[in-house]
Amino acid sequence: MLGPWLIPVTILVPLVGALLLMIPAYRKNISVVRTTTGAFVAATGLLVVAVAMLGEAECEFLEILPDMPVFFRSDRTSVWFSVLTVAMWMCSTVFSFEYMKYEKREERYCVFSLLALTALMGVCFSGNLITTYLFYEIMTFASFPLVLHEQTKEAVSAGLTYLYYSLAGAFLGLVGIFFLYRYAAPRTVSGGLLAYAAGGFLRTDLTDSERSLLTVVIFLMLIGLGSKVGLYPLHGWLPKAHPVAPAPASALLSGNITKMGILFTVRILFFTVGPDFLRGSWAQYALLGLSLLTVFLGSMLAYREKVFKKRLAYSTVSQTSYVLTGLYLLAPVAAVGALLHVVFHSIIKNLLFLCAGAVIYKTGRTKVEQLKGIGLIMPVTMVCFTVGGLALVGIPPFAGFISKWYLAAGALDTDTGVLRFLVPVILIISALLTAGYLLTVSADAFFVPRKEGEAEEEKREEPAKGPEVSLKMLIPLVLLSAAALAFGLFPGVLTDFLNGIMDVVF
Amino acid sequence: MSAYWLLVPLLLPIVGGAVLGIVKPHSRKVMEITVMTVTLLTSLCVAVLLWVRPSEEAFILQLAERLTVKFFLDGSSCVFAGLIALLWPIASMYAIEYMSSEEHQNTFFAYYTITYGVTLGIAFSANLMTMYMFYEMLTLVTIPLMMHGLKYKAVVATRKYVRYSIGGAAFAFIGFIAIAIYGETLDFRLGGVLTGASGNRTMLEIVYVMAVMGFGVKAAIFPFHGWLPTASVAPTPVTALLHAVAIVKAGAFAIIRITYYSFGVDFLHGTWAQYTVMGFAIFTMVYGATKAVKEQHCKRRLAYSTISNLSYILLAATLMTPAGMSAAFAHMLAHGVMKITLFYCIGAVNVKAHKYYVWEMDGMGKRMKLIFGVYSVAGLSLIGIPPMIGFVSKWDIGNAAVAEASPFAYAGLVALILAALLAAAYILEIVVRAWMPREAEKTTDTVSTGETSAQETSVQEFLPVGWRMRLPLVLMAIAIVVGGIFSVPILRFLADVAMGIR
Repeated sequence: MLGPWLIPVTILVPLVGALLLMIPAYRKNISVVRTTTGAFVAATGLLVVAVAMLGEAECEFLEILPDMPVFFRSDRTSVWFSVLTVAMWMCSTVFSFEYMKYEKREERYCVFSLLALTALMGVCFSGNLITTYLFYEIMTFASFPLVLHEQTKEAVSAGLTYLYYSLAGAFLGLVGIFFLYRYAAPRTVSGGLLAYAAGGFLRTDLTDSERSLLTVVIFLMLIGLGSKVGLYPLHGWLPKAHPVAPAPASALLSGNITKMGILFTVRILFFTVGPDFLRGSWAQYALLGLSLLTVFLGSMLAYREKVFKKRLAYSTVSQTSYVLTGLYLLAPVAAVGALLHVVFHSIIKNLLFLCAGAVIYKTGRTKVEQLKGIGLIMPVTMVCFTVGGLALVGIPPFAGFISKWYLAAGALDTDTGVLRFLVPVILIISALLTAGYLLTVSADAFFVPRKEGEAEEEKREEPAKGPEVSLKMLIPLVLLSAAALAFGLFPGVLTDFLNGIMDVVF
Repeated sequence: MSAYWLLVPLLLPIVGGAVLGIVKPHSRKVMEITVMTVTLLTSLCVAVLLWVRPSEEAFILQLAERLTVKFFLDGSSCVFAGLIALLWPIASMYAIEYMSSEEHQNTFFAYYTITYGVTLGIAFSANLMTMYMFYEMLTLVTIPLMMHGLKYKAVVATRKYVRYSIGGAAFAFIGFIAIAIYGETLDFRLGGVLTGASGNRTMLEIVYVMAVMGFGVKAAIFPFHGWLPTASVAPTPVTALLHAVAIVKAGAFAIIRITYYSFGVDFLHGTWAQYTVMGFAIFTMVYGATKAVKEQHCKRRLAYSTISNLSYILLAATLMTPAGMSAAFAHMLAHGVMKITLFYCIGAVNVKAHKYYVWEMDGMGKRMKLIFGVYSVAGLSLIGIPPMIGFVSKWDIGNAAVAEASPFAYAGLVALILAALLAAAYILEIVVRAWMPREAEKTTDTVSTGETSAQETSVQEFLPVGWRMRLPLVLMAIAIVVGGIFSVPILRFLADVAMGIR
C-alpha cells in the first residue's frame, strides 16, 4: 500500500532540497550547497528507479477543482521520461559544480535547478490534464530564473521572452483543457474526468460540428504546447534563451525541458483525444507541415549561425521537431522513433552543451570560428563532442541512426499522401545540414590547416598539463558519449519497452 | 434567528465610526483600539449570521407604496458580505500603520468604518430600493476618504469620481424605475421579476443596458472607467479597500443583482442587450490590461488591472447562466483578495521606501523580502497560475464560457487569455525587476554609468515595515494559496447559490 506514495515523494524530494537551500545560514558554505544539491538529485534518481520497479501505480491527492484531483500515475511513458530526466539532471549537476565557479550566485542556481526538477518530475508522473498543467506552469517559473541567471541585459530580455512565450503556449493549452473538460466521456475513474486513458477518453457521440470545433481547439493547443518544444511559429524564444543561460542550464533546457512539451503532446495525442481523432484531418497535415518546416528551418539556421551555443540552440529547434513529426504521424512505428529520439537527442544535446560549456570555461571562446584547433588543447572534450555530432547526424552505430530509421520507416508506413515521402527526404537534408553544422566544428577542432610561412610553434597552442578541465566536467561528458554509443549498439531494450506503450495506445 | 440581527453589523460600524468622528480621541492608541474593536466585532457578527442564516426578511421602512427598505441574507448576500467582512479588519489594521504620519486620522477612520456598514447594507439589501439607497450612500460616504489631505490632485480626483458616480446613478435609476413599474416586485428573486412584461420588451432591453452601464460606472466598465486610475492619488488603504474591493465590487454585485434577480436571465438571455453588455465587458478586459502594461506608475498600473479584472466578473455575469454567475462570484472573491494584497505591497513600498514607479523597483526584492515575496505570490495568482485562487476563478470563467458556446462567449474566452498574458507582462515586469534586475556587464568592474541601480545609489534608509502591515500581507498570501488548493467547497457553495439552492 505504500508503493504508490513513492510517486509524490519522488516529486517532493527535490522541493525539500530547494527549500533547504533557501535558508540563509545554510547557503554560506558553497561545498555544503553543492553536496546538498548532489545528494537530493541522487536521491530523486534512486526514487525514480524505485517507482519504475513498481510497475503501474496511481496516487490520488486532493481535489483542487470540482471533479479534478491532483493525480499521479506511473506508466511506461512516465518511466521513460522520468528516468531520462533525472539521469540528465545528475550529469548536468555534477558538471555545474565545476562550471559555476565561473559564474556568481551558484546557490540561487542550485535552488532553481532543484525546483525545476520538482516540476519536471510532476509533469512526468501526472495522471490527468489538470496535474500536468499545474506542473507545466510551475516548470516555467522554476526554469526562467536559470535563463535569467547572469542578469545581463540579454539574459533578462531572453528570460522574459521565454516566460511570455511559455505562458502564451500554456494558456493555449488551458483553452484546450476547457474544451476537453466539456467533451470528455463521463466516467468514474480514479483521477477524475480528465484522467489519461490509453487510446483517449473523448465522448464517442460527438456531432460533426463539435468534432470540427474540437479539431481547431486541439490544433491550437498543440501549437501552444509546441512552443516549449520550439515548434514554428512559437519557437522565437529558444534561440535567445538557451544560449544565454549558463551551460549546464542550457543543457537541461534544450535536453529536457523541451521534452516536457513533447510529453504533454504525447499525453494529448495518445491519452486524451486518441490517435484516431486527428488522423487524416487538416490539422494533422498542418501540424506535420509545421514540424517539417521547423526541422528544415532549424537545421538551416544552425548551419549559418556563428555563435556556438546559439548554433546548438537552433539544432534543438530542428531536432525536437523530428520528435513532433514522429508523433504527428499518429502511427506506432513513427511514435517509437519519436520517443527513441527523445532519449537520444536529450543525451546528445546535453553532451553537446556541456562540451560547449567546458570550452567556455577553459578558454572563454563562444564563437564557432574561435574553435579552430581547440581539439589540441581539449582533446577529450572534443572527442566527446564529435561522438555527439556523429550520433546526431545519425551515423551508425551511434544512437541517432536507429531513431531516424524508425521515423523514416514509420512515415513511409502511414497513409499521409505526399508527406510520406517528404519526411524521409527532409530527414536526409537535415542530416546533411547537421553534419555541416556539427562535424565541421569537430574537423576544424582537430585538423587546423597550416598557413603559409607560419612557424609550427606559433600555430599550435600549448597542450594542457594534467586534465584539460576538471574530472567533474569530464566524467559526465564521457558517460554521455558512452551512452550515445551504447544505445546505438543495443537499442533493443529501449524499443521493446516502447512497443509496450504502443500496444496499449494504438 | 430573527432577521433583525442583520441590523447589528450594519449599524455597529456606522455608529462606531460616527462616535469616533465626533469624539476625536487624542490618543492614537484609543483610536486604534476603537477602530479594530468595532471592525472585528462587526465581522464576527457577520460570521455568525452567515452561519445561522435567518430565513426571513427584516422589514425596516415603507417609503411609498412599492418602495420598501428591507434586508435579507440570501446566497449572494452571503458571498459579498463574507468577502467584505473578511477583508475589512485586515485592511483596517494595515491602514492604521499606513496613516500614522497623516493628519486628521480620526476623521479618516470614522468614514472608513462607516463605509463598512454602508457596504454591508448593499450586501444585505433584499430589494432594488434598498440597494439603490445604500449605493448612493456609498458614494457620499467615500468622498471624504478620497479627498483626504485636501491636496489639489485629491480634490480633482474626487470631483471626477463624484461626477461619474452621480451620472452612473442616474442611469441606474432608470433601471430602477422600470423594474418598479413593470416588475412584479422590487424584491430580488432569482430568475427575475419581469413576468408578463413581454409587451415592452425592446424598451426594457434598452433600459437594462442603461442600468448596467449606470451601475457599471462603479464597476469601471469602458467607457466609464476613467475615474478609477485618477483615484489612485488617494492613500493606499483607500485605493486598495475601496477601489479594489468595496466600491468596485459593489458595482459588480449590483450588476449581478439586476441581471439575475431583477430583470432575470430568462428575459435577457440571447437578446441583443446581453450581447451589448458582453461586448463592453470583453473590450474592457483587454483595454484595461493593455493600459496597465503601458502604465509606469505602480498604483495606476494596478488600477488599470482592476478595470480589466472587473470585466472578467462582468463577462462571467453576462453569460447569463448559473455557471456564469458562480464564476462571477468566484472571481469577485479571488480578485478582491488578490488586488488588496497587491495594492498593500505597493503601498508599503510607497510609504516606507518612497518609490512609486516601476523602474524604481530594481533590486528592491533584496531589501523588502516579505513585501515582494507576497507581491510575487499575489501577482502569480492574478495571472492565473495554479494552484492559487486566481487560477480557480479563471478556470471557472473559462469553463462557463465554453459551456455557453456562443460566439460572444468564445470571444470572451479569447479576451480572457489575452488579458491573462498582458497581466503576466504588467505583473512580472515588477517581479523580475525586484528580484533579478539587470546588472552592469561583467567586464566592467567600475560603478555602473548612466543607468543607476537601486541598491548602489540609494543611501537613504527605508522606514521599517511594522507588524501591522506585515501581518495582513502574510495572511492574505496564505489565503491566496490555501484558498486555491482547497477551493472545492467554496466553488460548490457558489454553484448552489447560482442554482438558488443556497
